[in-house]
Amino acid sequence: MIPLGAYLLLSGLVFSIGIIGVVTSRQVIKVLLSLELLLAACNLSFVTFSKFNGDYTGQLIVFFVILVAAAEVAIGLAIVVLMYRHLSTLQADELRTMKW
Amino acid sequence: MIKNMPSFCFYLFAALLILASLSVILARNPLYNVLALVVAIFSLSSLFVLLEAFFVGIVLLLVYAGAVLVLFLFVVMCLELQSISLSSAQQGRLRLLGILAGVLFSSSFFWAIQSFIKANTLGASSIRGTIETIGKILFTDYLLPFELTSFLLLIAIFGIVSLAQGALSTGKEELPS
Repeated sequence: MIPLGAYLLLSGLVFSIGIIGVVTSRQVIKVLLSLELLLAACNLSFVTFSKFNGDYTGQLIVFFVILVAAAEVAIGLAIVVLMYRHLSTLQADELRTMKW
Repeated sequence: MIKNMPSFCFYLFAALLILASLSVILARNPLYNVLALVVAIFSLSSLFVLLEAFFVGIVLLLVYAGAVLVLFLFVVMCLELQSISLSSAQQGRLRLLGILAGVLFSSSFFWAIQSFIKANTLGASSIRGTIETIGKILFTDYLLPFELTSFLLLIAIFGIVSLAQGALSTGKEELPS
């Protein structure tokens, strides 16, 4: 049987990789992908705790997280496309104004 | 051999997940980033199946690999992405920042997990997240949040349509007449 710690370690590692991606990448699409990694790591630890606690609530929370992430990605990508049309670049550093 | 199968699968998919998520942040081509995330989501869903959360695993596969990442692929392929041109000083600073954040986060994770394992050793329970059990809870105890997520999706649709309409109207204005 795989111990609880192995799953948590894996989740922590993936979360750290996602944090590195969010901090270091300057391309908006890459930042969004790293955010997806963060959400995936959190989902993994939710399901792990659900299994090891014998409670279904964790899996339900993962279900809701997936729904919210789908909405977030759709709006985020719409904003990315708008940003590309207006600035014709995808570098986050180019976004210096609040309004165009 | 059969007895060791779950742990073999766990290590296989764990290694695949880590490799794929590393290549999400390290690959230069945005297309490869998105495809690596597909692999990562696939191995994550396999881990969910190992944890006997079948419904959540298949929803993750359908919604993420099926819909969300295809959306990402569309956007990446529609926009021409130029390679990142940062000065070396900027790049070095970013890399330092990233390594610092990664070390900080992973060390705090290791510390927290170690103390947790010392505190209590939980064994795996026998729950199975099939459609039946998850659906029973979803439509009794969690009915209100479930209905509220439909409103969230509706609001998301409104937001996207208004954003796209704004883009269309400004696109028309920019056309030379």
